[in-house]
Amino acid sequence: MTFKRSFDSYEFYDRAKVGEKCTQDEWDLMRIPMKAMELKQKYGLDFKGEFIPTDKDMMENLFKAGFDMLLECGIYCTDTNRVVKYTEEEIWDALNNIRQEFTLGTGRDAVNFTRRTVGDKKKPIIQGGPTGSPISEEVFMPVHLSYALEKEVDTIVDGVMTSVRGKPPIPGSPYEILAAKTETRLIKQAAAMAGRPGMAI
Amino acid sequence: MPIFGGYAGGVEETAIVDVATHINAFVMSNASWHLDGPVHIRWGSTNTRETLTIAGWTCATISEFTNILSGNQYYPCAGPCTEMCLLELSAQSITDTASGREILSGVAAAKGVVTDKTTGMEARMMGEVARATAGMEISEVNKILDALVPLYEKNYANAPAGKTFQECYDVKTITPTDEYVQVYDGARKKLEDLGLVF
Repeated sequence: MTFKRSFDSYEFYDRAKVGEKCTQDEWDLMRIPMKAMELKQKYGLDFKGEFIPTDKDMMENLFKAGFDMLLECGIYCTDTNRVVKYTEEEIWDALNNIRQEFTLGTGRDAVNFTRRTVGDKKKPIIQGGPTGSPISEEVFMPVHLSYALEKEVDTIVDGVMTSVRGKPPIPGSPYEILAAKTETRLIKQAAAMAGRPGMAI
Repeated sequence: MPIFGGYAGGVEETAIVDVATHINAFVMSNASWHLDGPVHIRWGSTNTRETLTIAGWTCATISEFTNILSGNQYYPCAGPCTEMCLLELSAQSITDTASGREILSGVAAAKGVVTDKTTGMEARMMGEVARATAGMEISEVNKILDALVPLYEKNYANAPAGKTFQECYDVKTITPTDEYVQVYDGARKKLEDLGLVF
């Protein structure tokens, strides 16, 4: 059946208030493992120890299993303890309308984010950085500068400051906001010092 | 980040959930891209045989059957300035590049939990290995991974802690130490011996 309009986060919010009730234990310990096991058997999935697949039929079966997993289980909202379900048409609508290209960064430091395929000759984008690792306030800028100076690196993924003005950035405190803003300023400064002010963060 | 050995279970089951979560990002959030990161429940690493297999199969499948743009996160067990760390992240860079991943995001060395244990040198290796892998035959890539992963997979419990950024670099000039350059060259040589052409 066709949908009235494309699914969005507002629709998710609305459905999260009225969806089927479910406890987190029921979701985590029963629904997800049972459905995953059922779909593995239904589609005969066996990766046979290969890191990168060479069997296209098996890949198609994995895609169908993943699609069915989302369609049949839906998504669990831990705030409302309810399940949000999508229709098959809503999922295909999203998959059929994905942006296949966009830009990260600005000016001469911008990189184009474009699709790659299996065995593609094009190098992927290298997003260098501590990836959420804890970094001391004293060396936060130099650590990120070490990434920005690497020509292999295209964009920056930041670390987390362990303190700001000597205080821990406790969640919910003003220092949390200050730390987030300071992180961004210092990384932008690092990119500029590396001669790459338009580098995406 | 889907967890191997978590609620979903084994390799194939976790890959099913990983495919579902990729799709969900674009249904629920109208995402531009999805940042993945299958992680091992025991070792907290994305570079194990099982998590590489999950990432490789999921990304190749997503690349083959959808237009989804996808990235992957890097969490090796070993810390900076160690050969193990560089070999771990190289295995993932090879897997991600060959399976069609668009963004490689890292590297959170020492599992991303120890203060100041990440440096630009790990990202350099991630990039150099990606460049060397791009365009390789998948059968050849699998052979390299079959030889590379056993070089470090028995050492998770005793992974070398490595050094902090301050110990790996001259902090004033942002230059890696001679020691780290030597370790880097050693790891690169091992990768060349396995068949990577830099």
